[in-house]
Parts: sequence; structure tokens; C-alpha cells
Amino acid sequence: MWRKILLFSVMAVLASAIFAAPVTIQFWHAMGGTDRIQLLQNLANEFMQQNPDIKVDVQYTGSYTDTMTKMIAAVRAGNPPDLVMIYDIGTQMMIDSGVIIPIQNMIDKDPSFDINTLVSASRGYYTVGGKLYSLPFNSSNPVIFYNKTLFEKAGLDPNNPPTTFEEFIADAQKLTVKDANGNTIQYGFTFGSGEPLAWFFEQFMAVQNSLLLNNNNGRDGRATKAVFSNESGLRIFNFFNDMIQNGSAINAGPGWDNARQIFISQRAAMLITSTSDVNMMVKAAQSGNFSLGVMFLPHPSGVPYGGVIVGGASLWMVNTGNTQREEATWKFLKFLESVDAQIEWSTGTGYFPVNKNSIIKLMYQGYYAKNPPYLVTVLQLLMSNVTPATRGGVTGAFPQIRTAVNDAFGKMFTKAMTPQQALQWAQDQANQAIANYNSLY
Amino acid sequence: MSKKIFPYLLLIPTFLIVVIFIYYPAFQTFKLSFYKMSPFGNRLFFTGFGNFWSLFTSGQYIQSAYTTLIFVVVTVVAGLTISLFLALLLNQKVPGIGIFRTLIFAPYAVSPAVAGTLWAFLLSPVAGYVSYLFLVLFKAQPQWLTTYPLALIAIMIATIWKNLGFNIIFFLAGLQSIPQSYYEAATIDGANASSRLIKITIPLLSPITFYLIVMNVTFTAFSAFATIDVMTQGGPANTTSTLIYKLYQDGFVNFNTGFASAESVILILIMAVFTYLYFKFGQKAVFYQ
Amino acid sequence: MKKSQKKILRTILIEIGLIAISVIILLPIFLALTMSLKKPAEVFVYPPKIFPNSFYIQNYISAFNSINLGRLMLNSLIMSIIITLGKTVFGIFSGYAFSNFKFKGASLLFAALFITLFMPAEMIMIVPLFQIMQSFHWVNTYWALTIPFLASATTTFLMRQHFMTIPKELEDAAKIDGAGPMRFLFEILVPLSKSTIGGIAMINFVYAWNLYLWPLVVTNSNSMATAQIGLKMLTNVESTSNWGVIMAGTLMVLAPTLILFFAVQKLFVRGIITTGLKE
Repeated sequence: MWRKILLFSVMAVLASAIFAAPVTIQFWHAMGGTDRIQLLQNLANEFMQQNPDIKVDVQYTGSYTDTMTKMIAAVRAGNPPDLVMIYDIGTQMMIDSGVIIPIQNMIDKDPSFDINTLVSASRGYYTVGGKLYSLPFNSSNPVIFYNKTLFEKAGLDPNNPPTTFEEFIADAQKLTVKDANGNTIQYGFTFGSGEPLAWFFEQFMAVQNSLLLNNNNGRDGRATKAVFSNESGLRIFNFFNDMIQNGSAINAGPGWDNARQIFISQRAAMLITSTSDVNMMVKAAQSGNFSLGVMFLPHPSGVPYGGVIVGGASLWMVNTGNTQREEATWKFLKFLESVDAQIEWSTGTGYFPVNKNSIIKLMYQGYYAKNPPYLVTVLQLLMSNVTPATRGGVTGAFPQIRTAVNDAFGKMFTKAMTPQQALQWAQDQANQAIANYNSLY
Repeated sequence: MSKKIFPYLLLIPTFLIVVIFIYYPAFQTFKLSFYKMSPFGNRLFFTGFGNFWSLFTSGQYIQSAYTTLIFVVVTVVAGLTISLFLALLLNQKVPGIGIFRTLIFAPYAVSPAVAGTLWAFLLSPVAGYVSYLFLVLFKAQPQWLTTYPLALIAIMIATIWKNLGFNIIFFLAGLQSIPQSYYEAATIDGANASSRLIKITIPLLSPITFYLIVMNVTFTAFSAFATIDVMTQGGPANTTSTLIYKLYQDGFVNFNTGFASAESVILILIMAVFTYLYFKFGQKAVFYQ
Repeated sequence: MKKSQKKILRTILIEIGLIAISVIILLPIFLALTMSLKKPAEVFVYPPKIFPNSFYIQNYISAFNSINLGRLMLNSLIMSIIITLGKTVFGIFSGYAFSNFKFKGASLLFAALFITLFMPAEMIMIVPLFQIMQSFHWVNTYWALTIPFLASATTTFLMRQHFMTIPKELEDAAKIDGAGPMRFLFEILVPLSKSTIGGIAMINFVYAWNLYLWPLVVTNSNSMATAQIGLKMLTNVESTSNWGVIMAGTLMVLAPTLILFFAVQKLFVRGIITTGLKE
């Protein structure tokens, strides 16, 4: 009897292996670092265990820009992946690429996926012209990390961080320490230039509920003009410039890492960076023996608070013409957006969950009570109003606009231009880039 | 095997590579420079000289050209002067000179990217020793990598340092090929050290100097890309963005194939003129038969 | 002062000068070494101390693991060896063709090749070259890293120049002995030119190892990138990398060429000189 059962089950296993034609899908992502690469591989492994008929080939394809380059190369060579992670500012380029399947099409066909579980801000960012094009996966926004220990030393209340630009500038000055010769040994504030700085600018525009681009940030139709050279933009330029010129802030140089190092080494008391750094910062504070605080982005006093824009990247489905693979990809996507997968991803990195139910579950488990820095990152997002400004701009010329905005900051910091001139210059550059891109469509 | 075709057979591999990977792309670049193309290549429009027009009317490109010029001239002149001085010192017959030569040649083995990270570290505001040295000596806290013109100077320093090994090896070889009898004759005529340097050494080194200028110019204009990418990424405010850096940005960050191709064409033309001048004036002087 | 005393004084001064200069020139590498051995807490000590309190090897391990450096170094090694072999062998062939044969169109072909002498195609024509890689499906493969560099005008030119210095009588004698042109090349020319070929090969190896922009563009995974690109990754990795870790990585990337350079410096110097001068 037992033998028969055994024989039967062996045959059943064999049969399923033979008859269920396995599908292989390719997934390219841009999450560097050993931990994150492994985390995504683990998620894929779990999925494959649940779905033995699907094989997911996970590949780390370099930075966001590298991944976009590789995606373009693959499309032009005729062998794109099934699923690809593309940075926020590549949204319009992907829509225009002609090779993707809008996620909305899949959702419309599949009642098992509840679009309302997506965090509204993330969903809003990737919805263009009323259509959800891609699924947010690793969503983040900027926050300010601060060193509570240094706040106390400077006589500031570590539990009452600044909330307005004015308070922030004043505190930054109090947190600046000079030695007997007048050399700065501790700065109030630090930030990375290059892409990060341009991103912060966009965020502070949203904080003031101001648009970057016309046509409601390119959401109601293709954006044709940049509109950020106004009072709101100027406040941001002045905010950074004031602190640079009075010596209470230090420009850490291009990229994220230099600024992190200055903050971790306690040479600066406040750091603006991505929420996805929260894991790293919590660990750094423990090993560096200081107490870490996280604050919302400050806003100019008297200006109504808008909110922050979702940054990070989203997952795009490629039109391969192969229904079987497309269905497998969609299944995998639904898995990645599921409550538990999002919890695993979020707690392992610092990106916030894009599934509302993951946030609720984490809250009931007491996760946020135990890890206040994570709570702040989620709260800032949930407290944002969903408006055209906080949904962020979409244009195919976004990479050039970021370069222009960063260059404008540089021109202002080095006093080659006044804040007003620099801002206007950036807008002119942006307009040229937008016109250039739009002339193709 | 026919004797007649033998030399052609020998040339096949080299010409295959050169035709496919230099001639064909050069031709392709000229073609693409007259088109506008969408990032994914699904839209393509003829635009005539539109890309060139956009480049020459954009301040950014002109600024990059200007940056490249300053960067190349200062780096090459300062680098060669320092190298010549060091080569003169290394040409002395003193004990242990072999060891000193070995040590001072070392930067030759350093890549532009490594040179960039090393100097980015030394000049960093937090842990940089050079920054600290400035604080102690001059009571100053220069922001090397984020202000103009310091960022450009920082890249010049890294590039000059990286090129030292190469340049000194050449100058030293040149110095050693100068017959000792020239100096002896000059000394008898009463020439002192500095006039011997100006009247004998420098003129006799001129073929080598010419070759070094050519190599240093191409190196500084192109290979220093890695140093820039590691240290400043073209910032602050585009002030360390050379023509090759701009080309990379337009091609692979902004995905603007038309602009990048037009920039390629400009660089190809510049290098063609450069090659022509080299063969016209320099080849005989250096590759003497 | 006596003449001999003056001479000794002069020697001492020169020695001091040489020591000072050697120290200054090597200082960046030395400081990188001391930094690479510091514990995270020591990295940011202010005012900075040059020497670490301990030998903290963990930085090397972190740098090695965080960017898959073993694989990147292997890629660089494979790429550099293939490029060096290709340039050497094909350079010998084409140099030989131009130096020892008279054939129709020789001067035209020679000119066609030497127009490319100062055209770093992998940099200034990077966009169309990249498109060629796309159409060959070579993006992110060893093909892209090596094939475009397998031959160059420079190596051809240097080989030709060198072969021309070898007396014509040798070739005539070989002919009388009945040796064909291939045998003459491999049994007489190449052995006679060993050190020149070796020198040029070393130069090409370092050149390939140090390539940056091309691998940056054509590779895009942490399994195909090269060691130089690893440096860029090291500063971008989203983990707490500090200067200690970054310098550890930098030194590991630098080590192969630096060690090679010290090991066979004579060959290098010869190669470097040959690239510029004909003896």
C-alpha cells in the first residue's frame, strides 16, 4: 500500500515537472550593495518556491542611469527583459518608448489585484493621464537626520527640531562650532550635490505646493515649460545659499556618500538624505555613540505645507509579445507588492512599504513604536497632501533638468550668479531641454 | 601561399578591427550628428546642422571647451616643467639613484581613476590630510572639490601627479642620450649651470618635449575623464566638465544621441587637425631615422 | 673648501632632495595605506593621525565583498591579457608587413592606419561604438571589453619601427637557407625583438587595466564590470563605506599594475621609451 502511494507520488511529481512548462522571466534591478542584491534574490527565491513553474532570473544592472542605458541597449538590440526597475525621472521616457505594457492594462484584467492597497502618493506619482503605468516598488523621499547629542551640546532641545526654514537656518548656526583660529570644526548642516541636490530642490518645491512644470506638472498633458523660477524656487535657493555663505553648512560634493560621511563622523549636525538611508544611519549612530533624530523637511514659515514627492524607482513590464511570460511577470509583480514581501523589503532597506496593509501590519506588530526613525519616514509621506505638486513632474527631459538645477546651485554657491539669476538660468536651460525632447513627439 | 598576397594577409586582423571599430563608427557619427533621436531610438528626424547649432549657442558647451583648454594647457605646461626638473635631479650620479628612479616612476602604474580616488581622499574636507595641512599652515579651509577654481586645480594636481612617472622616464632617457662632451666643452667656455641648461639641455630635449606635449595633451583631454568622474563629476556648476565629460553626459546620462554625435564629430575634427600638425612638424623630429 | 668636500656636500644635498621628492610623490599611496588600516572610529579622528592604532584588515574584506571585487579583478585581468595578446600578435603581423614587404597600396594603407593614431575611438566615438555593441548583442560581455581593442595603429607603428632597425642581411640569409617569411618572423625577428615586444606588451597591459570610460558604458552588472569601475561603485554603494574601506579597495585595484611595474621595471622603461623614440 505505502509503496503504491510512494510510487504514485513520485510519478505525480515527475509528471508535473514534465507537463508544467516552466517559464523563465528576466528581472533587472538597480539596487546595489551586497545586502540589497541578496534581499531581492531571496524574494525571487520565495516566489519561485510558491510557483515552481516560473523561474525568475534576477540581475543587478548597475545604477539607475546604468540600468536605463542597458534597457535602451536591450530594446534596440531586440532582447529586453520582462521586468525592469526604472528611476522616477525615467517615467516619461518609458511611456514614450513604445515597448512597455501599462500596468493599468494588467490591473483592469485582473480583479484579484486591489489598486487601493497602493500607498496613494506612490500610486499618484506613476499615474500619468489617469493611467497607472508602472508599479512602485522602492519608494523613498528625503528627510533630515540630526544628531541629538550635538543638539544638546549646542543647548538646543533635541526633541523639538526646527520646522521652518528660518528656525532651521538659526539652529544650523548655533550648531556650527569654530576653534580659536576661527576654523570650523563642526557644521550645522550638510548635503550632497549633483543629483541629490536637484532632487531636494524638487522636494522643497512640493513642500510649498509649487509646480515644477506646466500642465499640472505634465500630468494633464505633455509639459512644455518649466515653471520653477518663482518665489518658491527662490526661497529654496536662498535657504541653501544663506547657510553656505554664512558658513553653517558644508557642500559635501557630488553624490550621497560624502555627505553621509561628514554626518556620521559628527562633523555636521544635520544631514538631508533619502529615507532609504535610515537603516544605515541607525547603525552608524549606534557605532558612533550618538543619538539619532529624524525630522520632516522644514518649510518656509507662512507658506502652506504641501508635502513630499515619492522618489526611488518603479517596476515596468515590457511588451514581449509572449503572453505566457507576461502572465508570469504579472504574477511575480503581484508577489513583490504583497504585504509580506513589502515588509521584508522595507525593513531590510529603509524604503517605505508601498502597500498600505504592510504599514498597518508593521504598526500592529509594534515595529514603528520600536523604531521611531522609520515611523517618521512613513509619517512624512502619509501626511503629504496629494496634489499635482506633490505627485511630482513628468517630462522626458528630466535628467537634463536635474543637471541644470544642480549647476545653478553651483553657480550661486560660487557667487558667479545671484540666487535669482541662477534660478532663472536653470529654468531657461530646462526649457531648452524640454523643447528639444518634445520636438521628437 | 602566393608571396604577393602574404603582406595583405598579415594586415587583415588589424584592418578588420580598425575599419569596424574606428572607421565605421566615425562614419556613423557623422551621419547621426545630423539627426535627432529619441532615447529608445523609436523616433528619428533629420535636423541638418541643428545639433551643432544648439551646441554652439548653448553656454554649457562653450564653457566645456574653455574648461578643456585651460585644463590641458595648465596641466601640460606645469606637469612637464616639474617633470623636467625632477628628471635633471634623477640624472645625477649619486649613490642609490636606481632606487629613487624606481620610486619616482611609480605613479606611471596608477590609473586615472585611482589617482582620482587618492586625491579625492587627500582633499576631502573630513578626513583629508591635505585639507588638514592647509588648516595648520595657512589657517584656511579650502573646499577643494566643491568650489571654483579649486575643483579644477584639484583635478590638475591629480593629473599632473599621475603623469609624472611617464614624463620623467622620457626626459631622463633624453638627458642620458645627450653626449657628456657637449657639457664639458661648454664648461670650458665658461658657461654656468643655468646657461648650460638653457643652451644645451633644453634645445636637445626638444624632440622629446614635443612628443611629450602631444601625449600629455591627448591624455589630459581624454583619459583624465576617469579622474574627473571620480572626483567632481564635472561640478561645481559644470566648471570641471571637459569636452569628453560633456559627451558622456549627453550620450549616456541625458540619452541625447544627436548632441553626443555632433560632439563626437567636433572632437574627431579637432584630433584630425592635431594629427596633421603632428605629422607635419613633429614626426621627423621625434622618430628620427 | 676642498674640491672633494664640495662634491660630497653636493651629493648629500642631492640625496636629501631626492628623498624629499620620493616621499612627496609616494605620499598619496602611503597615506592611503595607513588609512586603509584604520578602524571606522579612527577614520574621522580630528585632528587626524597618520598611523593607525591597529591593523584593521576588515576594511579590505568589506571592500572586497561589497562590490564583488574578486570578480571585477578577474574581469580586468581577462580583459587586459586578451587585449595585450591581440595587440602584440596583430601588431607584430602588421608591423612586419609594413617593414619587410613592398606591396601595392602599402603607403596608402599605412596612411589610412595612421590617421587613427590619435583617435581614441572608444572615447570620442563612444555613441556609435556603443550602438555597434548593441547590434552585435555584445553589451555587458567580454566581447565588448576586448574585441575593439585587439589591434591599434600605435602598436603596429612601433613594431614596424623596431623591425626596420634589424639588418636586412638577416632576411637575405634566411631566404638563402630556405626559410619562408613566417619562419623568418617567428624564428629570427621575434626572438631578436624580445625585450622591445615585452616592453610594449607591458604598456598595453597597463593601458588595458586602466581603461575606464568604455567599461563604464558597455558593462552594467557587478559581474561584468572591471576593477576600475569598482572604484566608482565603492563610493556609491549604499552601505556605510568610509575612507578606510574606499582606500582599501583603491589599493587592491592599484596593486596588480604597481607590483608588475616594480617587478619588471626595466621592461617597462624600455617599452615606454620605445613608444616615443626609435633607438
